[in-house]
Amino acid sequence: MKVTFPHMGQAYLAIKGMLDDLGIEVVIPPPITERTLEIGTKLSPEMACLPLKINIGNYIESVEKGADTIIIAGSCGPCRFGYYGVVQKEILKDLGYDVDMIIFDPPDSDYRAFIERIRKLAGKNSWVNIAQAFKRASIIVKEADEMLDIALRKRAREVNKGDTDSRLYRFEREVWGKYGSQEILETIRKYKGILSQVEEKPRVSPLKIGLVGEIYTLVEPYVNLHIEKKLGYLGVEVYRSITLHEWVKVHLSLDVKHRMRHKRILRKAAPYLNLCVGGHAWQTIANSIYYSECGLDGVIQIMPFGCMPEIVAESILPKVYQDYGTPIMTLVVDEMTGEAGYFTRLEAFVDLLEQKRRSKADEYKESLFRG
Amino acid sequence: MRIGIPRALLYYNYYPLWHSFFEELGHQVVTSSITSKAVLDSGVMSCVDDACLPIKLFHGHVVNLIGKVDAIFIPRLVSICPEEYICPKFIGLPEMIKSSIKGLSDLIVLNYNAHRNLKDAHRAYIELGKMIGAKPSQAVRALQKAAASQQVYDSLLKEGQTPLDMLNGHQGAREGEGKGVIGLIGHPYLLYDEFISMGLISKLRARGYAVLVPENIAQPQIEMACAELPKKLFWSYGKKLLGSGLTMLKDRRVDGVIFLSSFGCGIDAFIVELLQRYNHRLYQIPSALITVDEHSGQAGFNTRLEAFIDMIEWRDGREGYISAHGASLFGH
Repeated sequence: MKVTFPHMGQAYLAIKGMLDDLGIEVVIPPPITERTLEIGTKLSPEMACLPLKINIGNYIESVEKGADTIIIAGSCGPCRFGYYGVVQKEILKDLGYDVDMIIFDPPDSDYRAFIERIRKLAGKNSWVNIAQAFKRASIIVKEADEMLDIALRKRAREVNKGDTDSRLYRFEREVWGKYGSQEILETIRKYKGILSQVEEKPRVSPLKIGLVGEIYTLVEPYVNLHIEKKLGYLGVEVYRSITLHEWVKVHLSLDVKHRMRHKRILRKAAPYLNLCVGGHAWQTIANSIYYSECGLDGVIQIMPFGCMPEIVAESILPKVYQDYGTPIMTLVVDEMTGEAGYFTRLEAFVDLLEQKRRSKADEYKESLFRG
Repeated sequence: MRIGIPRALLYYNYYPLWHSFFEELGHQVVTSSITSKAVLDSGVMSCVDDACLPIKLFHGHVVNLIGKVDAIFIPRLVSICPEEYICPKFIGLPEMIKSSIKGLSDLIVLNYNAHRNLKDAHRAYIELGKMIGAKPSQAVRALQKAAASQQVYDSLLKEGQTPLDMLNGHQGAREGEGKGVIGLIGHPYLLYDEFISMGLISKLRARGYAVLVPENIAQPQIEMACAELPKKLFWSYGKKLLGSGLTMLKDRRVDGVIFLSSFGCGIDAFIVELLQRYNHRLYQIPSALITVDEHSGQAGFNTRLEAFIDMIEWRDGREGYISAHGASLFGH
């Protein structure tokens, strides 16, 4: 059995670590490129959302490298993600690919099936082994996200432009050849140190922008056209509301304290939206309010074209802006997104925020003179 | 009080229920006018660009009701069946309306959710009654009467009528009459809105075909067809479309199938894809997918429809013909 999985940001580090520890052969899908997207777009239903198309591209590129089993998570609605597995299986079947697909639905609906699927994947490993591998994988997710957070801080402040990203690039090259969660974790820790040493400009207070929206587009840099990097180069410090680590903590761990905090933030959205409409729409509203309250300069919502839950959030966000006054911009990405137009919008938004900040500062100075 | 019901989305599924519920409680019901270019345009103007056509249309119908009524009824149907959902946009519908349309009169929101528990879901109607000043006992009585008229409606649908026939008060050709049967797979708010579907049903009937719609297929058959799926389908209306489509194809009750979908419909993207794949693999009945949006034109629509019907007729006449060596269909 050679197992593969779809890409989603840094998730491959944790999944590879876990499968390595369990002694399962892994094929990491090649990094997402234009070819991946092209394959996916050609073979998927036209109206399907972007993540599904990129998943298909990942599968096929992995199968070309010898994978014969695909693992993917599932859910039980109402977002389309819950039915990805079934549709993708049919697509691959019609194409004549002889691959096995193991879909991990949340266990609350059917425990036995969930356990059977883990058994099928993990083979002869003991349950203790499986639990330990899973735990180590969640540590990788946590540390990898911490590493990215350091990068977000550094990019907005680095003295030599590109310093942070060249180090991150080195990390990606190095971690690709590692085996097992221990080695991967060590590499992440090493680069956390290396990233912390990026030289910072003294006394800068960069613009602060919070990212909200659909989880896949937020986490996968290829899909959001490296928005974090781009904003970083414009001198903006980026805050991410939804990360893999956050998702793991809310959905898979028993961290009660974090769940309480999560609920507390969600409650902020009550006047606008007070129930789950699927995906992360509720979190999008709640986090936009949270960021406004924290005094961030702006908020950007990102979603794939046709994302059902985020459209609901998109139509409510103008009201949040009216009440809180923090500018919010929505960016929709799909396979047709052009880089130039996208970046122009980002630059214009950052310009707007800068002007807003300057005029605020001027007002403050004037009030000092008057006062 | 005059209560306005937008003639969009689930109106075609539930109007007997909602009409008689409000009327039993002594209110006057006003339905928004039939969809027109103006209604659609006002919806497109007030809604976010990324929403799908039906949602934009619903906005248009709400705008149409402003000023005509004291309160507008907005149904929020989270789930109509345990462990199932409808569409995320239906769940957030009242919020979308509230934040997109300015100058709204009062909204009466029905919060129906049977996701956990079907038995208690009717409480939503008691809450709804409270909003318009009815006691729980009155609301329950009204609901019983309303449910009875809904049942009559549903059973008539199962006998082979389309909701459109019931609304207009005349009947079309039934299965078994005419040249053949065309199965129509699409959400009720597309199929039965004559502006959006561009008179699809009447055009097919004019060509001598009877139509079979998802509303005609009995629920047990739908469940049975969907039971074969590798994973439970969690969209109630998606299940209805897929299940009824599979039933039509499997039983060979239709000579052709037309999928009517709206641009940007997330659920159709998956359902139609699966149906087409199953059809291709197992049944091979002629099918066409017609996608409509706010820019759709009559001419292209008619051309595709005519081509599809021509294809079916040619297929009926000549498909079985395998030319012997040296002979051909035209006798040369």
